[in-house]
Amino acid sequence: MSGREGEKAGDRDGYKKGEREMRLVNNFFGEFGGRYVAEILNPPLEELKREFLKAMEDDEFKSEFESVSAEYTGRPTPLLFAENTTRMLGGGRIFIKLEGLANTGAHKINNVLGQLLLAKRMGKRRIIAETGAGQHGLATAALSAKFGFKCRVYMGKVDIERQRPNVFWMELYGAEVVPVEGVSGTLKDAVNEALRDWASSFEDTHYLLGSALGPSPYPDMVREFQSVIGKETKKQMEERGEKIEALVACVGGGSNSIGFFYPWLSYPWPSSKTPRLIGVEAGGSGDNIGEHAARMSGSGRPGIVHGYKSLFLLDDDGQVTPTHSVSAGLDYPGIGPQLAQLGKDGRIEFTKASDEEALTAVKTFAKNEGIVFALESAHAGAAALKLAPQLPKDRAIVINMSGRGDKDLFILAERMDRDNWHKFLRSIV
Amino acid sequence: MNKIMAHMVAFYPDREKSLEVARALIDGGCSYLEVQFPFTDPSADGVYIQRACKTALDAGFKVSKGFQLISKINEYANRVSNSRSSNSRRSESHSSNSRSSNRAPHEPGKLLPSHPPVFIMTYANLIFFRGIERFLEECKDAGVSGVIVPDLPPDSDEGLYSLGRKKGIKVIPVIMPNITDDRFDLVINNTEEYLYAAIRTGITGKFTRIDSSVLDFLERVNRAGAKVLAGFGISKKSQVEAVAPLVHSVVVGSAFIRVMEDAMEKIGKQTCLYQAVLEKIRELV
Repeated sequence: MSGREGEKAGDRDGYKKGEREMRLVNNFFGEFGGRYVAEILNPPLEELKREFLKAMEDDEFKSEFESVSAEYTGRPTPLLFAENTTRMLGGGRIFIKLEGLANTGAHKINNVLGQLLLAKRMGKRRIIAETGAGQHGLATAALSAKFGFKCRVYMGKVDIERQRPNVFWMELYGAEVVPVEGVSGTLKDAVNEALRDWASSFEDTHYLLGSALGPSPYPDMVREFQSVIGKETKKQMEERGEKIEALVACVGGGSNSIGFFYPWLSYPWPSSKTPRLIGVEAGGSGDNIGEHAARMSGSGRPGIVHGYKSLFLLDDDGQVTPTHSVSAGLDYPGIGPQLAQLGKDGRIEFTKASDEEALTAVKTFAKNEGIVFALESAHAGAAALKLAPQLPKDRAIVINMSGRGDKDLFILAERMDRDNWHKFLRSIV
Repeated sequence: MNKIMAHMVAFYPDREKSLEVARALIDGGCSYLEVQFPFTDPSADGVYIQRACKTALDAGFKVSKGFQLISKINEYANRVSNSRSSNSRRSESHSSNSRSSNRAPHEPGKLLPSHPPVFIMTYANLIFFRGIERFLEECKDAGVSGVIVPDLPPDSDEGLYSLGRKKGIKVIPVIMPNITDDRFDLVINNTEEYLYAAIRTGITGKFTRIDSSVLDFLERVNRAGAKVLAGFGISKKSQVEAVAPLVHSVVVGSAFIRVMEDAMEKIGKQTCLYQAVLEKIRELV
């Protein structure tokens, strides 16, 4: 951490274009980021920032993070050479970071661990979280059980209907799952509800936000806790002597991608030696409002929602529009502010994959490599399948499989094997 | 008589009925009218205002239509105001009596204008997306006196405070009991005339017990020397009477929406909301 420091008082421009050295707390990333919250949330956010900066300088905090990561999460997660898919496509060498093999099934656990350790240091006794697909809620519920926190997870009504299995798991871990109606009954409404809870409970409660967005310091803090993905990947690729041409990750709010890309953000750029970073958004079922969640590769517009400035899917009046994706985890109208700025600068290339392309990618990697991508991560897989044939054979492309697909059983079976699946469901009820 | 800042949501439950609600609040003697422009993500509001915002958006609310609604409200208030001022000339001695019993600390000897100023409350994105300057100009054209935007606090305000001063629209900061001294000073330095004090932490709509911590907070706020508009969870006459002596005006919001919901549930969507809202504001004033 040497040479990095916390945000200076009044410094509104922590991360500039071309500036390689990120700070722990940047607050703003070019024009995006910030802390646009009602006065009431300012004290708990300040408390969180102070504790985060202190913890990151504390060896005890770091060693606890590492030991729980090893013995509970199962880090380091493996890096797989996708040999059969590479041979099939005949282009660049495809590697898959199997982040979804982390305990609880996705990368979400990294951030949850970091924030829970902070909550412990701050003397909080209760944890609240929002969840979309349920993976962040699941990780929060699981680690809250382990560390003895009371846990409440807010989840959109619509999401509860389509991700029932994760609700079951969260409740098994002892968490209370609260359905949120809001305007659309999805992730964004769950965020609103968590913010409302926190506005009166912050004295004994930590809001464990699950993505690299929201008011400062969340985008910075979540990036730091997720950077373990990228650091491991870099080491694993170096050990194998591979030359990386591109890294590909799916982008909902953006916590897996910013953590995965992290080590390469400080590389000189543009440069032929620096890998391309590719973010893949949810192309959904079409280009119309309500059919996708493509902000960067679609029609995101500058706005201030959920306490931060970034690009959002908004109508002509500034109202937040509905989104759609087959993967609940990408079904969110905003994008983390640092990613928005890196996209604007051209450092991260954004593309999108449709629902159908993601489903095809799930099948391809299952048949070729014996692994099942989560639908979210399969968007990255789909983009990589398109890109790999264009790359020379001595260059590598690394996909972050941020989650594994077990949670998607009901969606996949419904889409891929409808009749048998329905017969089975009928037979058990 | 208690000074009430009455809150309503534009287009709740629809355009015509929200105009009816505004008329009831004005006729019932509100001192200020706070019109909320509904946003899809009202993260500081409790269930009543959330539901109202959703209904209002479904009823076709647009920002431009919100300004048109306010112009209509102001036309109505002007008519009422004219007829009242001719009445008040006839009963001047009476009104000076009621003035001396008015315990609000910040308007010594000044008669309350009978035309209640209209403020807009909304969330950052509706203003930011439209362009702050444009939004404030539209405020001016529609006769809006001030804006309340809780998620654009001083120093994260995107220029709202300075543009407000330039355009002559009051920007009203919102403060809460957990504010630090540093932030308090910052907010006070940005306060022009009015200060909105949320008397407890949390969100709108939940009942607030007026205890000594609330009174201590209001005393601290009053040291700023601004006209304090205080609210959050005030629905009953007893609460109003406990808070009113300490502040310029008491804010009542969710309570009116509750009254409207009840009326619509009992009598059906076509019910006349005027009477229900009028009774509620008369009870509190």
